Amino acid sequence: MTRQVPSTCPYCGVGCGIVISVAGERIVWVDDQPGNLSSEGMLCVKGRFGTTFVNHRDRLATPLIRRGGELQPASWDEALDLVAMRFAEHRGRFGSFASAKATNEDAFIQQKFVRLVMGTNNIDHCTRLCHSPSVEAMLQQFGSGATSNSYSDYEASSCIMLVGCDPGSNHPVIASRMRRAIDTRGTRLIVVNPRRIDMCDRATIFLQSRPGTDVSLFNGMARAILDAGLANTGFIAARTEGYEAWLAAVREVTVEQCAEVCGVAAEDLRMAALLYANPPQLDAREPGSCLVWGMGVTQHTNGTDNAHALLNLALFTGQLGRPGSGVSPLRGQNNVQGCGDAGCIPDSLPGYQRYDEAVPAPFEELWGGGLPRVPGLKATDMVEQIAGGTIRAMYIVGENPLLSEPNLHHATELIRSLDFLVVQDLFLHETAQLADVVLPACSFAEKDGTFTNSERRVQRVRRAIAPVGESRPDWEIVCDIARRMCAHSGLDTRQFSYSGPAEIFAEMARLTPFLRGMSYERLDREGGLQWPCPEPGHPGTSYLYGESFPRGLGKFVPVRQAAAAEELPDTEYPLILNTGRMLYHWHGGTITRRVEALMERAGALPVAIHPDDAAAAGIVENDTVVLFSRRGRVSGAAVLTDSVRAGSVFIPFVRLGESAANFLTNSAYDAQSRIPEYKVCAVRIEKKRERKDAAGAPGIGRERA
Amino acid sequence: MSLILNGDEVEAGGSVLDAVLAAGIELPHLCKDDNLPAIGACRTCLVEADGRIVAACSFPASMAKRVDTETKTARRIRRGVLELTLAMQAERGDEGGPLAGETASTASREGAAVDRFAVRTGRAVDATSPFFSFHEAACILCGRCVVACQDLQHISAIGLAGRGRDTRVTPGAADTFRESICTSCGSCVAACPTSALRPRGGAE
Ligand code: SF4
Ligand code: SF4
Ligand code: FES
Repeated sequence: MTRQVPSTCPYCGVGCGIVISVAGERIVWVDDQPGNLSSEGMLCVKGRFGTTFVNHRDRLATPLIRRGGELQPASWDEALDLVAMRFAEHRGRFGSFASAKATNEDAFIQQKFVRLVMGTNNIDHCTRLCHSPSVEAMLQQFGSGATSNSYSDYEASSCIMLVGCDPGSNHPVIASRMRRAIDTRGTRLIVVNPRRIDMCDRATIFLQSRPGTDVSLFNGMARAILDAGLANTGFIAARTEGYEAWLAAVREVTVEQCAEVCGVAAEDLRMAALLYANPPQLDAREPGSCLVWGMGVTQHTNGTDNAHALLNLALFTGQLGRPGSGVSPLRGQNNVQGCGDAGCIPDSLPGYQRYDEAVPAPFEELWGGGLPRVPGLKATDMVEQIAGGTIRAMYIVGENPLLSEPNLHHATELIRSLDFLVVQDLFLHETAQLADVVLPACSFAEKDGTFTNSERRVQRVRRAIAPVGESRPDWEIVCDIARRMCAHSGLDTRQFSYSGPAEIFAEMARLTPFLRGMSYERLDREGGLQWPCPEPGHPGTSYLYGESFPRGLGKFVPVRQAAAAEELPDTEYPLILNTGRMLYHWHGGTITRRVEALMERAGALPVAIHPDDAAAAGIVENDTVVLFSRRGRVSGAAVLTDSVRAGSVFIPFVRLGESAANFLTNSAYDAQSRIPEYKVCAVRIEKKRERKDAAGAPGIGRERA
Repeated sequence: MSLILNGDEVEAGGSVLDAVLAAGIELPHLCKDDNLPAIGACRTCLVEADGRIVAACSFPASMAKRVDTETKTARRIRRGVLELTLAMQAERGDEGGPLAGETASTASREGAAVDRFAVRTGRAVDATSPFFSFHEAACILCGRCVVACQDLQHISAIGLAGRGRDTRVTPGAADTFRESICTSCGSCVAACPTSALRPRGGAE
């Protein structure tokens, strides 16, 4: 007998509805959900065929404790007692990473534990490594850090501008919806990317700009719009502030100068700008433009500047707050939106409520304990501050920083030097291998909860199969640790006793104004709901900023082009490395490497190189090549393609074999958001020589200022 | 908008098929996928509307006053069409094809049976994708996969090529799915009513 269980895809931030078919506690097929408003009956290869990792033989089946240097199986009680005791010893020197793959309920409980029991705001998640500049910039300029529109707005728009993202690989179903708009309505597409992505086939304008030059790009576009008299003066006057100062910065440059910096034709830059500012009338609907971006904008030392420049452009043209327009940072992980909403960030409580006088009061009252007021450390700083002793114990849930942190050799040394490390996850990945205690967690298929997707839609995740081995849902494990520590902390153990995820969600909704109208009962009855949804009768919100911004007026922030990257090519490392994604793998690959079919389709790291550069290095298609940077090396298979600019190479950041892009990348940071510069570093490429080479990577652990 | 369906008054928007299914009445509709617009190719959904035989999937409910799914003529033509479809089974005993799954259960409900099988020339198997395989012998050429790829995902990696007896489903201009522009999204696999496109490994 097969059973059908409706749930939500565990991979990307699109959040497609799935129907899991289960026979004998195994997933036998994943179907689409025709009625789901985010995915409208579509899925991509990962959602449809990529869930076999759930039953993979590598799943952790029992807790593990390090004894005599080895990780050995232990009972839950033993492991939890040990964790509770050691955590108690490390109050004040403790930090925690939450998982953007886990549910809202898991995230909410984890931040409650860290704040209430551990007494610190040192909690963060992977947004730090992807969209923190976007979130930072949006908070400053609008007062909210979420995607302003819905996916349906892409289909209602007249122009979509994709900057530094590759939805065909990383958000495939959003790409399908965009293709539908282009094919059936004639929506125009502008692509800005150093690499020619698949969507370029349908683009009206493709700007193959140099990495790290986005400020020039957007300021140049603004200048073109200004010169053409297409500024949205009504919107600027009624809805914004700081215009004059920003305008002065834009007037300092010409379109031609900016085009030169970006390495694109001035005419193309101008055309793109005018198309975005003044999209064509396609039918009876008011024409609008959507601005969509990814890591290509954010993962730079000037990431926050880039994001400001982009948002300024949206304010300047008034392309937001109406159907068919909006600003969308494409969120990576399935629940990266929800993890932030639930409060797993060091500078605010659930619902992005900052620690002002009045904010913590309702939390403290409901939770029966005091909360710390000093903002905590951001993820990248937590790792850096291990060296100075500020952080000595860590609790890492559903994350594998030793694949995702920049300059991996250096990060590994730091994590290794912790006094006490607990990792809670599905697999014994690179970080878990260094842990003192490893706790086995359930996958999405084994628990109930909710995920919040890129369009702010909260959707149900439902238990389809029994937990694998002795694994348990994250929230249950955290509650068990917390209850063991309540007595010491003068807290009531009932603070961590829940009948199930529905009760946790109810608590979260009560404390988070924009979720207050949601409940499991409603989500089960009506399907996913988009926040803000402030009261039970509220239908949810499909686009933001229609009337006003959460901070009142939208704010222009003047920015000027800084150095394109900290590390630029030189004679020793003459190529620019650009990193990104591929369709057949997810993120660092901890999960997709455990899906056989995906590995069969894409088992080797593809190194995309321009034919001219390949010829110069004597490389032909499919040669095994080695990339060197100042920090490490990786090998992969050469793919000759003119989709990359001459002088640059591209690799996805998945780890395949011993190769992961982040052995190469630089740990230079954006000062404001602390995002690492994943997108640009200097490398050298060589054809692999046929000999045994035991030498380690050059410059291991060499630190950069 | 209301219409008389098998003698009962029902509210109806959309197509006659939508009204029929909403009323809980079973009716074959082999080429109509839940996710997709009607193709109107298989003719297994024929019903009588105001005395005329129409394809329920593509006939708007607003244009009908009286619809009967079980008149003698409608049943006879449907049975005939289903028998022709069953006769497309090229290999007995294959796990897919019209004699298995959705088509088979529909046929038995409609009382269609077949003892003669057309000899299909094409028996190609494309197992180049690690995610799904294509078995020409089980294909009834309903075109659902083509529509799924084209109108749902907007990829157009799969198509119908050739004419008459030589018509077959192909991975577009490429020789195999592996080499084609296919993104392995599986929408065609989900749409296929005869498992001519079938998932590999994991699924049953
Ligand atoms: S597009 Fe994203 S959410 Fe949808 S099926 Fe693919 S991975 Fe899952
Ligand atoms: S799996 Fe390939 S052929 Fe089938 S619908 Fe998707 S892209 Fe088209
Ligand atoms: S379902 Fe109506 S013609 Fe195929």
